[in-house]
Amino acid sequence: MKPGKKFGVVGVAFAVALTLFATSAPANAASADATIDIGSLYEPQNLDNTGGGGQGVVEALNGNSYEGLYRLTDAGVVENLLATASKVSKDGLTYTFTLRSGVKFHSGKTMTSADVKFSLEKVSATDSKSARKSSFKVVKSIATPDAKTVVVTLSSRSISFIYNLTYIWIMNSAAKDFATEEDGTGPYKLSAWKRGSTLSLVRNDAYWGTAPKNKTVVYHYFTNATALNNALLTGAVDVITSAQSPDALAQFKSSSYKISNGQSTTKLILVFNDRVAPFNNVKVRKAITSAIDNKKLLASIWGDYGTLIGSMVPPTDPWYEDLTGVNPYNVTLAKKLLAAAGYAKGFTFRLDTPQYDPHPAAAAFIKSELAKVGITVNINSVTDDQWYNNVYKKHDFAATMQEHVNDRDVVWYGNPDFYWGYNNTTVTSLINQAEQAANARIQASLLKRANRIIATEAASDWIYLYPQIVVASSTLSGYPINGLNSQFYAYNIVKN
Amino acid sequence: MNQVKSRRSWSLIVGLVIISTITLVTLISLVWLPYPIDNTDGGRLSPPSWSHLLGTDKLGRDLVARLMVGARIALSVGFSAVLIAGIVGLTLGMAAGFAQRWLDESLSALLDILIAFPTLLLAMLIVAARGSSLTSAIFAIGLGMSAIIARLTRLLVKRVLAKDFITASRASGTSWPRIIVLHVLPNIWPTLIVSFALQFGLAGLAEASLSYLGLGAPPPNASWGSLLQEAQATVMTSPIAAIAPGLFLVALVIGVNLIADGLREIADPTLRRSR
Repeated sequence: MKPGKKFGVVGVAFAVALTLFATSAPANAASADATIDIGSLYEPQNLDNTGGGGQGVVEALNGNSYEGLYRLTDAGVVENLLATASKVSKDGLTYTFTLRSGVKFHSGKTMTSADVKFSLEKVSATDSKSARKSSFKVVKSIATPDAKTVVVTLSSRSISFIYNLTYIWIMNSAAKDFATEEDGTGPYKLSAWKRGSTLSLVRNDAYWGTAPKNKTVVYHYFTNATALNNALLTGAVDVITSAQSPDALAQFKSSSYKISNGQSTTKLILVFNDRVAPFNNVKVRKAITSAIDNKKLLASIWGDYGTLIGSMVPPTDPWYEDLTGVNPYNVTLAKKLLAAAGYAKGFTFRLDTPQYDPHPAAAAFIKSELAKVGITVNINSVTDDQWYNNVYKKHDFAATMQEHVNDRDVVWYGNPDFYWGYNNTTVTSLINQAEQAANARIQASLLKRANRIIATEAASDWIYLYPQIVVASSTLSGYPINGLNSQFYAYNIVKN
Repeated sequence: MNQVKSRRSWSLIVGLVIISTITLVTLISLVWLPYPIDNTDGGRLSPPSWSHLLGTDKLGRDLVARLMVGARIALSVGFSAVLIAGIVGLTLGMAAGFAQRWLDESLSALLDILIAFPTLLLAMLIVAARGSSLTSAIFAIGLGMSAIIARLTRLLVKRVLAKDFITASRASGTSWPRIIVLHVLPNIWPTLIVSFALQFGLAGLAEASLSYLGLGAPPPNASWGSLLQEAQATVMTSPIAAIAPGLFLVALVIGVNLIADGLREIADPTLRRSR
């Protein structure tokens, strides 16, 4: 972050604050027509979630302006949205979806099966930048026998298919510009997007479902957490979608604010390159995992917030179990394991560390912990770009740190070509079987088995699970607190 | 005139006191630190106390120890960068000063381009290309400053060469190397020393800026810039962590500027004559 940019943003924050003080003071009375001001650090890059819009576009538009066939609720339950019914063939390869009637896009066009086909194909298109692209490789063909029916044929069973559909927006196939305009079916229409500042949504009076409990929603974007906190303190925003430091929370510990500690899926991971020595040795990985006091590190970074999980699986995934005891913090054990691996005198490795928080502090902590067992860590700061090219694409690294935000992402350990290079044929086959399982119970038990192996072999060191902290003015209610998949449904928010 | 003289020596003395203190802290840090720099047992953001005079950071590291190590980094960057700037700058400046026509013009053009680049921007480019480390930062800052030294040297050399005594000693058969050592260097040295002193402070500041941006000494090196950056998030809860490194940085820059001021006034021949 460049200081110049920060000052610019503080300036913007002041301007926003002043404008709001000047204009919105008397709007508190009628809550049904209220304006909800949401403060966020994640401005969309563009408005297309298959075009690299980033997590900001999901936060602002998912479920608010765009809807999928299914919805993932804040509690993590999948429910029908634009699909009213689905039928799965016995072999699990053919899905027949019945679409809701009377759904219109904001432009006025009625949604048909052609739009659904278009939207699904947009995700798996070659130029798609969707994070879910690989999950839809399994789609073999999409047929539209009539305007209300979509038939999807898969090449192999995919138990997560319906779940994955919650990420896919149904877009108008006639629309031209997805990057700067919006044409969804949701409860809000996009009214304005001022880049670098705000994104405003206004109630869609022609919405097919229950009308939103407020009239206007404005997302205010900040690049600096301090500026964002000040905006909440001065009343420029009503709610912060995810607070980034526990230290700022002290100023909100009063009856005027409410701090919610919800479920997150973001994990801070010390990633080993499992292909190369010495990290291809399970004992070395276990030793490092046991040598680092994750509890102390979590307390250093997050104070009283956050959770230790001991594996890649957060409590919101159905195959979660507490695996913190698998490789406990135990320096004596770590030294024994190192000796057994033939590194009694330790070794030296390079830790490629992203420059943004909390990585530098965490890396310094890890260096100091590993020094106690004789391992020397050379911290090498890398930019996002260097990380993406050298670590993620070229696999040219020994160890790195990264935050992984996605839910249900333990399955990436089943892919030996993934950047961390974990290769265990049993795990790969368990994960493949799980995806082709006949029901969710079998899927969960297979993934539990896989995850236990991954954790036992210390494929990576899962340092901690982030907290998801929403801070809101106490006049506000009905906002989501879990932020799964970084979504933020605004339609139930009420301001008194 | 006495008044002017006393003000002069006063600024030199204060500057020397400040810089000697920082140097002393640095020397002490080489043999003694209140806590090992990696020790994380101090508790999260402990307030100042007898066991931790300035408190601790997020990871529980003692702030005094980190500041002392930071002084080490600031001084070593200052010295090394000025050394690089001195060697590269003097050589280029001398060459341009002595050279005629096209060589002088092309060297000057090169220096102009280098000067047009802000030192910090040049440093960021070099750090981006070489990866961030203390050596990259020193190299980058030194290189950026060498252009300033070189241009000053060229100007001073040209001015000295135009003097009659140079023509006289050429006529009496003195060789160029002897002229450089006997006549040129002694005449340009006082002005250059002042410039070196100023650049020393700027180098410390540039390193802090690079570290603040995450491009300087990588963690866990406790550069003052990275201390400031780390303290920024917790400035509301423990402001001392931001104030202390900031004060040290200010002291360093003020200290060398005072020294440079004092030196300039001692070295300035016009003032000397009026004494």
